[in-house]
Amino acid sequence: MKYPQILVLLGASLIVSTAQAQSTGFTATPELIAAAKKEGKLTVYTVQDPEGELKMVKAFNKRFPEIKVSMLRLPGGQLVTRVKAESSSNRLSADLISFSDTQESNQVAHVFAKYAPPNAADYQYLEADKDVWPRAIGTWVICSNTMTEKNPPKTWKDLLKPEYKGRMGEVTILTGGSGWTRSFFQREVMGIEYWQGLAANTPRLYPSGVPMTDALIRGEISVGALVSNQSLPKVAQGAPMQCFFPPEGVPAKPQVMGLTKTAGSPNAAKLYLDWMLSPEGQVFVVKEWFMFSALKGAPTPVGGENAKLWFVEREKSIRVQSAWVDEWVKIFTPKR
Amino acid sequence: MALISAAQMPQKRAGTIERMLPWLWSGSLLATLGFLVIYPMLMLIVGAFTVVSPISSATATEVSRFSLQNFVDTLTSPAVGQAVLNSVIACGAGTVFAVILGVMMSWIVVRTNTPARRIIGEISKVPLFIPPLVAAVAWSILGSPDTGLLNIFFQKMGIAININLYSMVGLITVFAMYYCPYVYMFASSALMNMDPSFEEASEISGAGALRTQFQITFPLIAPAILSSMLLSFVIMLGIYGVPAVLGLPANISLLPVHLYQLTVLSPPQYNAAAAVSIIMILVTLVFVYLQYKILAGRSYVTISGKGFRPKTLELGIWRWFTFALALIYIVVVVILPVFALTVMAFRKFMFIPSLASLFDLTQYSMGHFESLFDNPQTLMSMWNTLEVGLITAVIGLAVALSISYTVQRSKAPGRRLIDMISTSAASIPGLIVGVAYLWAWIGLPDGLYGTLWILGLALVGRHIPDAARILASSLIQVHKDLEEAAWIAGSGMFKTVRTIILPLCKPGVIATVSLLFILSVRELGTSLFLYTADTIVMPVLLLGLYESGTLGTTAAFGLFQIIFIAGVIGLANVIRHLVTRNT
Repeated sequence: MKYPQILVLLGASLIVSTAQAQSTGFTATPELIAAAKKEGKLTVYTVQDPEGELKMVKAFNKRFPEIKVSMLRLPGGQLVTRVKAESSSNRLSADLISFSDTQESNQVAHVFAKYAPPNAADYQYLEADKDVWPRAIGTWVICSNTMTEKNPPKTWKDLLKPEYKGRMGEVTILTGGSGWTRSFFQREVMGIEYWQGLAANTPRLYPSGVPMTDALIRGEISVGALVSNQSLPKVAQGAPMQCFFPPEGVPAKPQVMGLTKTAGSPNAAKLYLDWMLSPEGQVFVVKEWFMFSALKGAPTPVGGENAKLWFVEREKSIRVQSAWVDEWVKIFTPKR
Repeated sequence: MALISAAQMPQKRAGTIERMLPWLWSGSLLATLGFLVIYPMLMLIVGAFTVVSPISSATATEVSRFSLQNFVDTLTSPAVGQAVLNSVIACGAGTVFAVILGVMMSWIVVRTNTPARRIIGEISKVPLFIPPLVAAVAWSILGSPDTGLLNIFFQKMGIAININLYSMVGLITVFAMYYCPYVYMFASSALMNMDPSFEEASEISGAGALRTQFQITFPLIAPAILSSMLLSFVIMLGIYGVPAVLGLPANISLLPVHLYQLTVLSPPQYNAAAAVSIIMILVTLVFVYLQYKILAGRSYVTISGKGFRPKTLELGIWRWFTFALALIYIVVVVILPVFALTVMAFRKFMFIPSLASLFDLTQYSMGHFESLFDNPQTLMSMWNTLEVGLITAVIGLAVALSISYTVQRSKAPGRRLIDMISTSAASIPGLIVGVAYLWAWIGLPDGLYGTLWILGLALVGRHIPDAARILASSLIQVHKDLEEAAWIAGSGMFKTVRTIILPLCKPGVIATVSLLFILSVRELGTSLFLYTADTIVMPVLLLGLYESGTLGTTAAFGLFQIIFIAGVIGLANVIRHLVTRNT
C-alpha cells in the first residue's frame, strides 16, 4: 500500500471515527488465555517512555493480573544496537519489541516472527511483510505558552513571523526519527524556504522534545513544534500551554511492535499484543498516550478530529536523508 | 654433602620464584585489565575500523572489511572540528577553575583552622552526588537569561545583572562548579597525608606562612593536583548532560552531544562514534604521558617513619575570611542547585514569572514523589544500585590498589603499560564505553550476562582510572623506607600493604571507595547496555523518567539519589568510626 493512499484512508477514517460509536471490547480465545496464564510472564523491550509503558501494563494487568510483564526501555538507536547484539549471540530475552518506526525495526527484521492479530484486517497502516504492527501513531503539534504568548501561531507558516524571533524553539533534526519526520515534512511540503525562514527566527535548539517542552512551560521560549505525546499530557495536567494540530498537515510516525521468533512466552506475548491492538487497547493509546491509532474506527486525541496526518515516504526518506540532514545543520547551526 | 645440598635447593628455588614473581604479578594484572579494559577497547577499535557491529554473525564478511572511512569522516567533518574546539575551550577552562576552587577548598578544610571546616568539607562533596543531567537542568533553572531564578531575584532587588548560563562562559562556570568537588577529593586526601616538618623547616628558614604554602605545600601535592586535572578534563570531555542542556540552546555543540546524536540517528552510527572515541583515547594517552614527564625525577614523599599530624595553619582573624569564602562556595556550588532541584521536585509546573510566584505554596505538591514511588522500578533500582555500588567499590579498590601499588612502588615489568592501559578509557563517553562492553561481554558464558555482577565489573573497568589515580597520589607520598623496614622485619608484600600501606594511605583509600560508590550510582552509559528488566539501576531509571517528560519526577528522583548516596556514605563512616574505636 502506498503512503498517500494510507494518508487518505487514515484521514478519512479519523474523520469518520468521530461519528461512529466505538467498540471498546477485547476477546481472546480461551486456549490463548489459558496458555498465556500458564506461562505467567513476558518481557517487553520498548522505546515508549517508561511511565507510558507502565500505564499500559497496568491496564493490561487489570484484565490479566496473572501475567507479569517485565520491561526494558531504551531510546531507539540504543535499542537497535542492543537487539542486534543479543540476537547475534542467541541471548535475546524479549518476547515483544517496540520501535519508534519501521526504519528502526527493519534493521533487526530477522528477529520478528510472522504473526497477525485477530483484527489485522482492520489495520490501515501495514508493512509489506506484516511482522510488526503499528500500535500507536506519534504526531507533531504546535504549542505556545499561554502566559507569555498573547498572539499564538495558528499554522506552520505563522512560525515564520518575525514577532517570534528569538522566542521560539526547535528540536534538532539529529534527535532521531521524530525530528527527521518533522523536518522532512517542513522541507517536502513547505519547501526549503521554510527551513531558511525558520532559521532566520533564530530558534533555540534542543536535543530532544522533553527539554523543549519543559522550556516552553517555563516560559524560556514562547512557541514551537512539539511531539503530541509529550506536550498534550502536560496540557491535560494544567500546564500553562496550548497546542493544536496545524492545518497544513501533521507529521506522523507509527510506533510499531512485533513478536520475536525466540519468545520464551509466546502466548503471553500474543495476548499482550492482541489486547493492545484491540479497540480497548487503542482507546487506551489515544486517551492515555495522546497518540493516534491506525485502527479503523478508533477515536482521535482531543483536537485531532480533522488532523491531516502526513507520513514520510520511506524510499525518498532513505534517499535524501543524509544530504538533507547536512543541509539542515548548515542552515540552523551557523559556526559558533 | 647431602645436608649442604638440601639446604641449597630451596634457596635456588626461592630465587627462581622471586625472579618469576614480578612477571607473574604483572601478567595477572594485565590479564585483569585485558578482561576489564583491553578486550572491550579492542571491540571499539574493530568497530571504528568497520561499518557494522563487530559481533554481528550475519555480517562477518563486512566485519573483516577494514576501512579508515570512519576516521576520514570524523577528521574531515567541520561539525566534529567545531565540537572539538568548543570542547577544548569549555573543558580546558572548566578544569583550570575547578582545580583552583577544589584546591582552595581542600586547603581551607584540611590545613586551616577555619570554623566549621569539617561540616564544610562534607557538604562541599554534595555536587558529586547529583547526576550530571539533573545538575545541568538545575543550573538552567537558576541561570537562564529569561526565566532564571537568579535573574528574577536580581531584577526584584534592582540589581542590573543578567546571568546567562546558555553560553560558553556558562558552560565553563558550571563545569568548574560541578567538578571542583572531584578535585577536592584528590587534593584533600593528599593534604591530609602531609608531614608538617617540611613546612616547619621552611618557616624556620624565614619564609612566611603563606609563602610556605605556595613554595612547599602545594608543590608537594602536585601529583594529586595533576591527576585530578587530568581526570577532570577527560571526564568533562565525555559528559553529555551539561553541554546538551546549556550548550545546545546557544548553538554550542561539544563532542559528547555530537556522539550522542550519532547513536540516536536511524540507523545508529556507533562505528563513527567509536572512531571519535579512539581519537579521544589517544588524546588521553598524550596527557598521561605528559603527566609522567612532569612528575618524573622528583620526590613527593611526605610520609616517613616519623609520626605526624597534618599541621593546621592558625589564621587568626583571617579565619573568618576563609570561612566567608567557604560559605560563598557552599551557597553557590551546593545550596543553589539543590534548592533549584527541590523547587523542581515539589512544584507542579516550573513557570515562575516572579519571586512571589516562587513562594506561592499552592503551586507545590507531593505529586512527583507519589508518582515516583508508585513506580515499582524505583525501589528495585535502589536495591540493585546498592549491590552494584558495593561490588564496584570493593572489587574496584582491590584492582586499583594493585595497579597503583605496582606502578608507584614496584619495579615490576610492564608497569608503565599497566598505567597507560588503566587510564586510557577515562575519556570515552559512557554511552560508547557501554556499547563496547556489550559487544565484548555478550558472549561470556551463561551466569554473568544479565546479572548485577556484569554491571559491577563494567563499572570497575570504567572507573579504574579514577580510583587508581587517587591511590597513586596517596602512595607517592609514602616513603619507601617504611616498606623496606617491614620487609626486613619479615613481612611479605601483602602483609606490608595491609599493615603499612593501607593504614598510611587511609584518606586516599576512603576517598577511593567513596568515589567508586558515588560514580557507580551516577554512571549511566555503562549500565544502559547491560541492564535487564530485573537488574535496572538508578541512573537508567532516571534517564527513563527524564525521557518520559516528567522533569518534576526526575528532580524528585535526583533528590532521592542525593539522600541515598549521602545515607550510604554516612552509614559507612559511622561503621568505620565504630570499628576504629573498638580496635
